[in-house]
Amino acid sequence: MADIQTMQQTARPASAWRLDPPYGARTVLVVMLAALLLWYTGKRVEIDRMVALTAEGVLATVGLREHSQVGSGLAKIGSSLFPLQISERTETARIENFDPTDLPWLSYIETVEHRERTLNPTTLAMEESVETREYLVEPVGYLRHVLVKMLETLEIALWGTILAVALSIPLAFYGARNYTRNRLTYVASRSAVSLFRAVPELVSALFLVLAYGFGPIAGILALGIHAAGFLGKFYGEDIENADDKPQEALRAIGGNKVKVLWLAVLPQVLPQYIAYTLYILDRNVRMATVVGLVGAGGIGQELKGRYDIFNYGHVGTILVVIFLTVFVLDQISARLRSRYL
Amino acid sequence: MNGVRDPRMLAFDSVEKRYPDGTVALRSVSMQVPQGEFCVILGPSGAGKSTLLRMVNGLVAPTGGSIVVDGIPVEEKTLPRIRPRIGMIHQQFNLVLRSSVATNILSGALPAISTWRAVTHLFPERYRRRTCELVAAVGLGEEHLRRRVSGLSGGQQQRVGIARAFMLDPAIVLADEPVASLDPKISRDILSLLKRESRDRGTTVLCSLHQMDLAREFADRIVALRGGEVAFDGEPADLDEAATDSIYGEIIAGDLLIQRDRPKIVARA
Repeated sequence: MADIQTMQQTARPASAWRLDPPYGARTVLVVMLAALLLWYTGKRVEIDRMVALTAEGVLATVGLREHSQVGSGLAKIGSSLFPLQISERTETARIENFDPTDLPWLSYIETVEHRERTLNPTTLAMEESVETREYLVEPVGYLRHVLVKMLETLEIALWGTILAVALSIPLAFYGARNYTRNRLTYVASRSAVSLFRAVPELVSALFLVLAYGFGPIAGILALGIHAAGFLGKFYGEDIENADDKPQEALRAIGGNKVKVLWLAVLPQVLPQYIAYTLYILDRNVRMATVVGLVGAGGIGQELKGRYDIFNYGHVGTILVVIFLTVFVLDQISARLRSRYL
Repeated sequence: MNGVRDPRMLAFDSVEKRYPDGTVALRSVSMQVPQGEFCVILGPSGAGKSTLLRMVNGLVAPTGGSIVVDGIPVEEKTLPRIRPRIGMIHQQFNLVLRSSVATNILSGALPAISTWRAVTHLFPERYRRRTCELVAAVGLGEEHLRRRVSGLSGGQQQRVGIARAFMLDPAIVLADEPVASLDPKISRDILSLLKRESRDRGTTVLCSLHQMDLAREFADRIVALRGGEVAFDGEPADLDEAATDSIYGEIIAGDLLIQRDRPKIVARA
């Protein structure tokens, strides 16, 4: 009864109601200002030139233009990458402890005769000397080398992910407001998480290479630290947002924090944790290639080395292998995801 | 059976709870629950039933008065000793939905096992055996053991909740509106299960309810709260119309002043 009465008291005739438009002049002004700012920054980063060059390239491709800077640049890259370098050819004299009776898989020895005309200093006559050189030819040798490097990259990504998970577990625990020990541990862990996330892998790898030398160690650490920042943040937030009811039930009978976390929180957040970790693994495979460019091991390091000595055929092989690997891993992870998540 | 064993299994002495926002949940509640009694705390929503229950295991700290459980005063430093001896059943069941029935019941043994055993899920043999016995005792079957709780009905979930509460053979079981989210038929089943289990094990039960009929049917004793005070305390048979009126009477009108002539429930200024 009381409810009905109050409703009648507050009700007004429909003629007194108002339905305002969803936004007003102020919103329009703000949006216009934002657009102006965007236009200015666009000028600064040469968006107009980008559009012009790309359009020119497109027009040249369909035959409406004679020449395009972008088109010819791309054509030059394309032609220098091919044919892909698959085989490897090494002079046997340069191979230490070369044993011709025990050749590597699929390889054979190629003998090349070099004829050289040299001037005999005593007779002053031109003499022809024949020199035979032996080469060890491995038809898929370079491809195999690239695949081994690719495997190393995958291993760097895997261990970077393992390191990230290991680091992020304490970070998440102390970075969750409802599980941290005190304010200090909370702030410390949150700051560490932000710091780790703020440093890009490539930058930290640059310095870690100086500290640990060229090779996979720097790569693993760079990937692990950055991803630990990401995982620590997301794991921690999931702990905070987990349903409190089962946690309360276990607290009520005297379970300590670790037990409650393990039995009441972990089962709730596990699917999300797996999803985050798979994303990090996926991202690390791609980033492991990039950190190799600064010397942190794997296929990136090989790519940089070949690029610097203008071996574009080798570069082509590397790029194709990277592309195929990422593609195959994408397919596998999509399949795993749809089955288990 | 009342009073044959420890008559002061659970004792509240002028307990008071004032929340920081000024709400007074309980004002000067004193009562004693003898060992083995099935004591129902009855009252409308907001009467302070939940607060009273949650004070027993320290989930809520009183702002005045004291609570003594089996001779041990409930304080911050005695909680680790008290909590493992008190089972709790919740209105929303408070189970881990993605875990199995067995894991949920086993987690009732948490305070008794080491952290590494909890983390590795390697519960001692005797708790695993007890889990099987409890699953059978609450009317579930072997096929439920490994099933996820999320796949069970509400009534079945509360059965799991009861099994978890009895895991460590508690001296006291607190049941906070155990059947509020279940239909009347299932509610009866669950309460008779709770009653049977507690009688067989000699467990003291403090059970809050808002349904008068269920309270009458299952309680050894009813303590009714209204506005944070005890409005009735006695056997179900003594809960006559006048007493009922003093608990729920004229609450629909929403005007507490009408209660002026019933000194028991008038708010103290």
